Amino acid sequence: MQNNQKRMRVYFTGVGGQGTLTATTLLARTALEAGLDVVAGEVHGMAQRGGVVESVMLLGGWRSPKLDLGEADVMLGFEPLETLRGLPYLKKGGAVFSSSDPMPPLSVSLGKADYPAMSRIEASVREVAGLCHFIPCRELGIQAGSVQSGNTVLLSAVCASGVLPFGVDALEAAIKKFLPAKLQEVNLHALELGKKALKG
Amino acid sequence: MSNNPLLHGAHGERHLLLGNEAIVRGALEAGVHIVTCYPGTPSSEVPDTFHRIGGEGRYRLEYSVNEKVAMEVAAGAALGGALSLVTMKHVGLNVAADPLFTAVYTGLPGGLVVLTADDPGCHSSQNEQDNRYYARFAMLPCFEPASAQEAKDMTRAAFSLARQLEQPVLLRTTTRISHMRGPVDFDDLPAPQPKVDFRRDPARFVPVPAVARRRHVALDEIVARARQIAEQSPFNTVTEPSAPTDLGIIVSGVSRNYLADALASNDWTDRVRVLELGMTWPLPEEKICTFLNQCKRVLVLEEGEDLLEQDIRALAQKRGLTVVIDGKNDILTHQGEYSTTLVTRDLAQWLGVSCNVQEPRSAESDLPGRPPNLCPGCSHRAVYYTVRQVFGDDAYYSSDIGCYTLGLLPPLRTADFLVCMGSSISAGSGFARASEKPVIAFIGDSTFFHSGMTGLANAVFNQHNVLMVILDNGTTAMTGHQPNPGMLQDVLGGMSSHMDIETIVRGMGVTEVAKVRAFNIKALTKTLEEMKSKPGVRVLITEEPCVLYARRQLKKTSPQVAEVAQQGPEAMRCLEQLACPAFYRSGDNLAVDATLCTGCMVCLQVAPGAFKARKRQG
Repeated sequence: MQNNQKRMRVYFTGVGGQGTLTATTLLARTALEAGLDVVAGEVHGMAQRGGVVESVMLLGGWRSPKLDLGEADVMLGFEPLETLRGLPYLKKGGAVFSSSDPMPPLSVSLGKADYPAMSRIEASVREVAGLCHFIPCRELGIQAGSVQSGNTVLLSAVCASGVLPFGVDALEAAIKKFLPAKLQEVNLHALELGKKALKG
Repeated sequence: MSNNPLLHGAHGERHLLLGNEAIVRGALEAGVHIVTCYPGTPSSEVPDTFHRIGGEGRYRLEYSVNEKVAMEVAAGAALGGALSLVTMKHVGLNVAADPLFTAVYTGLPGGLVVLTADDPGCHSSQNEQDNRYYARFAMLPCFEPASAQEAKDMTRAAFSLARQLEQPVLLRTTTRISHMRGPVDFDDLPAPQPKVDFRRDPARFVPVPAVARRRHVALDEIVARARQIAEQSPFNTVTEPSAPTDLGIIVSGVSRNYLADALASNDWTDRVRVLELGMTWPLPEEKICTFLNQCKRVLVLEEGEDLLEQDIRALAQKRGLTVVIDGKNDILTHQGEYSTTLVTRDLAQWLGVSCNVQEPRSAESDLPGRPPNLCPGCSHRAVYYTVRQVFGDDAYYSSDIGCYTLGLLPPLRTADFLVCMGSSISAGSGFARASEKPVIAFIGDSTFFHSGMTGLANAVFNQHNVLMVILDNGTTAMTGHQPNPGMLQDVLGGMSSHMDIETIVRGMGVTEVAKVRAFNIKALTKTLEEMKSKPGVRVLITEEPCVLYARRQLKKTSPQVAEVAQQGPEAMRCLEQLACPAFYRSGDNLAVDATLCTGCMVCLQVAPGAFKARKRQG
């Protein structure tokens, strides 16, 4: 596909059950509504039983529903340990938007392994990323009205940052068009909190 | 009433669809009547989407008990004149191979499309088998979409061809195609196709040897016709570069995407001519030969086995062409998935140029893993814990396919071997006979109906010595809670009938049968102790709804959660041996995460006194 759109790859990572695939779909729909060429990819099944869930969104005319290590222009980490684990996917100088609220894996809960310190996670991310934001998504989601809306906080932050070829207005329109009516108020609240978090 | 765009979207509308949803729209545009399936990742969203949108009378969907049955019902429906679809994952086609190989001999006048969703990379499968082999083996025309748009368009084309040739047609996706999302432009949604009247013709439809020999001849003629169609197919296209070149690439499946991205991002588009194959069997030999004749060197790009490569080498040899043909090598192997990076690396070497693939940052070492796990409140954990308490390492654990395979993880460690769907009882029977050790076979309710029943019949008939534990959670949990015959009648609704597992087991002649609530540790322990000392076939049915299913579909949640009442060795033993994901350590103490606890209260039974129940807040 030949066009003049800027090509961009976005990598999403989180924990099964968090709603990262729903978030990916919402952002992909936002892109399509904004008139961009978009392809997204996800993996279902075994990966969802509390395991790591990764997905991708490629904008601007890519055909592959997949990206490789070192290829992501933008990374959305819905859980900080997974942000660190997924860091090799980020291109040098890329942008990272990550939740700063940990969800310890079982080995950590059971005291058999240590969760990496937030300072280490942030330092590693800064070694690679040209831009990074850590946002207490879970906390802000709860403030907005539901834990799941923490994902919208993160989406709002990345849209408001200007790294994507569409802004937070496009996300707001997509929330109004595609989310069920009963979820809109909470998610629009989360959208505002995401914008504020980016400024703060 | 559904206002789903799949059912109501008009010509010209554009929607972002999952590859599997696009297949559903393609089937609807083709006018499908009957859909059968056995769920399996990455195919499951096809039947589940048909299920979710209801259909408003356009089609009839059934969740069959296994893939062989699904294939037979769909083949029968196509004999009866319906445009039919059967869906399954790649290994499911092994189960369904028997009817398929004969259905191609008789032909199916109504038209049948067989969806196989392959899983290179083993995202959720036990092997990487490449089902393009089946197109060659059974002699089936085959389509391989590479985008969501093509998933729709090729599905429609596959139906059209199936009815035109009166032959089953293979629609082959891989995980990346089934689970990609992309824009899809809709075409018209006509009323379902007219059905084809069945005309009795035993000399065609009853493949006794004399008939089968003639049908093999007829099949060859049909394949020749299909080859002509492939020669003209709009899904097989050549892209010529603007500058002359004698380098060519022949590519199929998802690799078409990786190639397009690799060429575009390295500015190599003008260096090669490209033949993209979307209708990949029978091969359009003339089109390929014309392409080969324009090239001095040709690279064949295909994820999986080197099928195209071998066929094209053979074709060049037969036609006396001297073109150099390259394919699989150390970079592009038959293992795992291809990617844009792999294709870029290989192309750079092949073109003799450099490429700008960065060496990626190495993965962080020492990070705590996050493997998939049984959910908090999963009834399998309670059963596995109890079995391990009673049998320990003295017994060998024959596992099966479902969420409960995750019992292999410590501390439960209740999976020593696994072959395939339904093998727990039969492989367990053989293992017990050979090793003379106690064997426990674990199987879920859906898998029991799939192919565990036949293994149980065999175990009774051949007097095997095995304890079968049927982990009945009332749904097909792993693949997304699809119906199965074990589900309760009021959940199944009016279209399916409940079958009682205990009645089946007793009907097969098993005399040592017990049914226990999975969360009743005392009763479980007592029953297992009794069965432990007995010989022969014993069946324990443990019942408790899948916790996710109970919450989401049955709207059942417990009003209580557990909390730690007494810190100490008993609480820690429960943590070590039960390892519920709702537990967490806080310093030297144990705590229960109330947002994760489902209130199963198994921990109260495992370590009485260490835990207590409290009312759930909020």
